[in-house]
Amino acid sequence: MSALILRLVEQVGATPAGSVTEVALDGPDDLASVARWCEATGNEVLTVLPDAVEIHRGRIADPLASLPPERRPGHRLWVYTNFHCNLACDYCCVESSPTAAPRVLSTAELSRLLEAAVASGVEELYITGGEPFMLIDMDERLRLATSLLPTTVLTNAMLFRGERLRRLEALPRDNLTLQISLDSATPGLHDRHRGSGSFERALDGIRCALDLGFRVRVAATLGEDAGDTETELERLFSDLGLDDDQRVVRRVARQGAANSGLTVSRTSLVPEVCVTAEGVWWHPVAAIDPAMKVADHWAPFDEVLDSVREEYRRHRIRGDVLASTFPCA
Amino acid sequence: MNDDDTLLVGAVAYTANVVPIWEGIKEYFADSDTPMDFVLYSNYERQVEELLAGHIDLAWNTNVAWVRTLRRTNGTARAVAMRDTDLTFRTLFIGRQGTGRLSLSDFGGRRIALGSRDSGQARILPVHFLTEAGIGADDAEWVIFDSDVGKHGDTGTSDLDALRAVLADDADVAAVGVNTWQAMTAGGEDLVADLEVVWESEDYNHCNFTALEGLDEDRVERWVQHLLAMDWENPEHRHILELEGLREWKRPELEGYRSLHEAMESQGIADGW
Ligand code: SF4
Repeated sequence: MSALILRLVEQVGATPAGSVTEVALDGPDDLASVARWCEATGNEVLTVLPDAVEIHRGRIADPLASLPPERRPGHRLWVYTNFHCNLACDYCCVESSPTAAPRVLSTAELSRLLEAAVASGVEELYITGGEPFMLIDMDERLRLATSLLPTTVLTNAMLFRGERLRRLEALPRDNLTLQISLDSATPGLHDRHRGSGSFERALDGIRCALDLGFRVRVAATLGEDAGDTETELERLFSDLGLDDDQRVVRRVARQGAANSGLTVSRTSLVPEVCVTAEGVWWHPVAAIDPAMKVADHWAPFDEVLDSVREEYRRHRIRGDVLASTFPCA
Repeated sequence: MNDDDTLLVGAVAYTANVVPIWEGIKEYFADSDTPMDFVLYSNYERQVEELLAGHIDLAWNTNVAWVRTLRRTNGTARAVAMRDTDLTFRTLFIGRQGTGRLSLSDFGGRRIALGSRDSGQARILPVHFLTEAGIGADDAEWVIFDSDVGKHGDTGTSDLDALRAVLADDADVAAVGVNTWQAMTAGGEDLVADLEVVWESEDYNHCNFTALEGLDEDRVERWVQHLLAMDWENPEHRHILELEGLREWKRPELEGYRSLHEAMESQGIADGW
């Protein structure tokens, strides 16, 4: 046993703070001794290997603490209420379309989920799809959601007519934001990716929501062919009277129907927990990618959340250690 | 670099962690009226020469480097601050479990593992304590580990080599600094249950910040006052204090260097390389 402690004192002592050293173990019983010694000397066991342990010199700062509070996993919850859509955009990250399997999350299920989410400290809700307003009773879900949390619903705003419009008008304005997709300032680019005639109807939907007194945020998804679109969009946003915090411009992710764009993975994305009828996902941008699935069901919610936080911590610590080991990379 | 306002402090880079320690201390002084910068040397002999040549204002010296500086300056060099842990440093002899407590006179005929020839705690002082108790080189077998010479025992490597000799039954006892034993037993004494302390010295002094006589006393005093104000309860200060191995900076008390003066004198240890 003393031989192990001598190795620890020598190797860890010679390791620069923030770096990692691999210390050989003589047997499985050594692990508990190493853990005790590390705890007492302010160092941390990073990884347990078959015959060795990797020890981080000095305490590891919690990577979650370095994130702004609103970006920490568990602050914001995403929910896919359904996957079918009146459109079939060529970059859709979840391959939605009129013929996509709906995979509906019922109002009752949403109610149970939100209760657990609020109890676990979730402070903000984003509802998305598919097109959420494909569900005729979407207003019930939004009424429930806004009674519990500030809620944003992502929509293409093309279905605000007839019964749906009447139900929309009756919704509370407090705690609700409609985030509406618009990809360009003129029909060309928008319609190329989202379907002919979709630009005019989306613009009508934005004006309708603004006229009804809803808080509106307009979101653009730009691909490689975006050109000067961003500048033109900013001008249109200003014409619509949108403030800076009512505008979102983001890049296409290489997920679902998109065959080009940014590549995402569990190690490259800060998680934003996302629940669908099929389970829990690392991030809403990849809610049909098996590699991004976290759990088959959201309950117990606090445990699922903890597992996501823990995995993120591991990725970050590993990433930080690699970054400090290979500073030339 | 060494302009009017910046005190230049020398230290020895005995581990890579010396860099964050001194970067942290430098940053702590950046907002004071006595800013400092630091220079790292690979060994204490070079650092002492540089202090004597006036290339640095202060030297963070081991006890051996301090005694040498004092001798080279005919006793005019000043110690201006030290760690709380420098006032209560000790040498321990460690044996295999079951050896029991020993007095130094019991060491005759044993195999005694000793560390680097320039380490106060692992070589110079233990030899002195033994000699004073009547155990000379002819009365016991000395097993010598001259590892990391130039670092005055700071790396602890020769302490660990000596302990390995005890575990391998190549020696009966090993002389180590109390800091090495504390690092080993931090997780509990049962983690090193096959070893035990068989003899322990009185407290003596270890490192200090050394200045030469000519350095402006008022300037040094302001620097020392700011140093003493580092606070264990302040997380930023604590990070540096932990790395450097102290809770509190102290004014020097020089009585604790007496045994080392005597040891270096009687062993004829040179004043330089
Ligand atoms: S991107 Fe939105 S609007 Fe387009 S198909 Fe997907 S869910 Fe429907």
